[in-house]
Amino acid sequence: MQDFNFIKPTNLEEVSSLLINYKDKARLIAGGTDLIIALREERLPSNLEIIIDISHLKELDYIREEGGYLRIGSGATHVEIAQNELIKRYAPLLSQAASLIGSPQIRNRGSIAGNIVTASPAADAVPALIVLDSRLVIRKGQEKREELLQKVFVGPYKVNLKSDELVEEIYFKKLPQKAKSDFSKLVRRNAVDKSRVNLAVVAQQNEDKKVIDIKISAGSITPLPQRFKEAEDLLLGEIPTANLIQKTGEKVAEEMMVKSGYRWSTEYKEPVVKSLMVRALNRVLEVE
Amino acid sequence: MVTKKIELNIKVNNKDYKLLVSPNKRLLDVLREDLGLNGVKEGCGIGECGACTIVMNGKNICSCMVLAGQAEGAEIITIEGLTGPEGELHPLQEAFMETGAVQCGFCTPGMILSSLVLLRNNPSPTKEEIRAAISGNFCRCTGYQQIIEAVQLAAEKMRKGGVKVNG
Ligand SMILES: Cc1cc2nc3c(=O)[nH]c(=O)nc-3n(C[C@H](O)[C@H](O)[C@H](O)COP(=O)(O)OP(=O)(O)OC[C@H]3O[C@@H](n4cnc5c(N)ncnc54)[C@H](O)[C@@H]3O)c2cc1C
Ligand code: FES
Ligand code: FES
Repeated sequence: MQDFNFIKPTNLEEVSSLLINYKDKARLIAGGTDLIIALREERLPSNLEIIIDISHLKELDYIREEGGYLRIGSGATHVEIAQNELIKRYAPLLSQAASLIGSPQIRNRGSIAGNIVTASPAADAVPALIVLDSRLVIRKGQEKREELLQKVFVGPYKVNLKSDELVEEIYFKKLPQKAKSDFSKLVRRNAVDKSRVNLAVVAQQNEDKKVIDIKISAGSITPLPQRFKEAEDLLLGEIPTANLIQKTGEKVAEEMMVKSGYRWSTEYKEPVVKSLMVRALNRVLEVE
Repeated sequence: MVTKKIELNIKVNNKDYKLLVSPNKRLLDVLREDLGLNGVKEGCGIGECGACTIVMNGKNICSCMVLAGQAEGAEIITIEGLTGPEGELHPLQEAFMETGAVQCGFCTPGMILSSLVLLRNNPSPTKEEIRAAISGNFCRCTGYQQIIEAVQLAAEKMRKGGVKVNG
C-alpha cells in the first residue's frame, strides 16, 4: 500500500480548500472501491501526500427533485440510487444500472461520482447518465462550473477535472411520463465481474408511434462513453418496424467497430452487441 | 514522506475502542491486527470475494475496501460479535452447521454477515432474494444450495424463536 496522510474534513468547504492547497498531491476518497485498489497496486503518482475522505459528508449525499430536474449529490451510493423512488419513477434506467453494479457490498460503498471520475470504459452508471443528458456541477473553492457529462471524458480512465476541482452534483431532466428507458448488461460470470457490454436507451414515440426522441449509449465497447448518433438517426422521425430495429442494432455494432478499431475482441462482440441492442429497442419501442 | 498516525474511535461488537493507526491501513488490517478479530478473512483483497465482509453502520461491506480512517465513529459487527456471552451460537451459525453449509469455513463469516443484514431487513426472504444478498460472497467448497438452505433455516428459527438479532 502506498504511503499517505489521511484527513477527514467536516464539510465541503474544508475539502475544497484542502484541494486548492495540495493540488495534485491530494486525492479524494469516496467509497474507495476503485481508489483503494489503485493505492494497493501503488498506481498513484509518487508525489501523493494526502487522501481526503468525503465518504461521510451529508452535504454530498442526497437525491432530490427540483423543478423538472433530479439532482444527485456526488456521494450518493449505488444502493441509494437503485432504491430511490424518484429515480425509479423519473429515470428508471439509472436505477436499473445502479442495481447491477458489483455486489451488495460494493453498492453499499461505491458512489456515483467515483464511477464517473474513474472513467472506466466499463462503468455502468455512465451510459445511463449520458442518455439522460446529465450535467456535472464541478466545484473549486467557492466557484462552480457546469459541464455536460459526456464532455468530461477525454480518454479511457481520464477525465478533464483539475486537481483542485471536485464533483459536487450530477443532475438531469426528469424523463417525460411517456418516455421509456432501458439498461441492460452482459457480464462474464458473476456479480462482481465488470461489464463486458452494457447498453442504455431512452426513447419516446408520439401518438402515431413516430419516434420523437431516441438516445443510445453503451459501455465497454468504445474507448470513450458516447452516444451512437448514426444509429439514433435511423430511428428518429420513423415509425419503427422489426426490420428497422434490426438495422439499428447492426448500426450500433458497426459504429462500435469503427470507433474502437477492429480487433479480435471487438469482432467477437459484434453479434452480441447487435442482439442485445435489438432486444433493448424492442423493450422500449412499440413496433408497427 | 513522513506520515502521521491517526486516531480512530470505533465501536466493534458493542465495545468502544480508541486506537492509533497508520493512515494507510485498511479497516480489514485494523480488525485483524489491532483487534485480533481473525474471523474477518482476507481472500482477494480487491473487493471480489467477500471473505472480509463485516457489518458497518448496518450495511454489509468489504473491509478490504475501506481505509481505517473512513471508519471513524462507525459501529461494526464481525462474526465474533454474533456469539452470545456464554458462547451460544447465533441461529445463523447453528443453521450453517446443521445444513452442512460449512466446509473449509473460509467464506462462512462473510456469508453469515451478509445474511444477517438480509434477515434484519427481510425476515422471510425468497431463495432468489437470498441468492442476491450473498452474490458478493464466494464459496469455493460447498454448493450455494446448502448455504441458501441454511439462511432459510435460520430465518425460520429467528421467526419462531423471536430471536433478537445482535448488534
Ligand atoms: C469487486 C468490484 C466490482 C465492481 N463492479 C462494478 C460494476 O459492475 N460496474 C461498475 O460500473 N463499477 C464496478 N466497480 C467499480 C467501482 O465500484 C465503481 O466505479 C464505484 O462507483 C466507484 O466509486 P467509489 O465511491 O468507490 O470511488 P473511489 O474509489 O472512492 O474514487 C474513485 C475515483 O474518483 C475520485 N472521486 C471520488 N469522488 C469524487 C468527487 N466527488 N469529485 C471528484 N473526484 C472524485 C477519487 O479521487 C478517485 O480517483 C467494481 C469495483 C469492485 C471492487
Ligand atoms: S478480501 Fe475483501 S473482498 Fe476479498
Ligand atoms: S466453505 Fe470453503 S469457501 Fe466456502
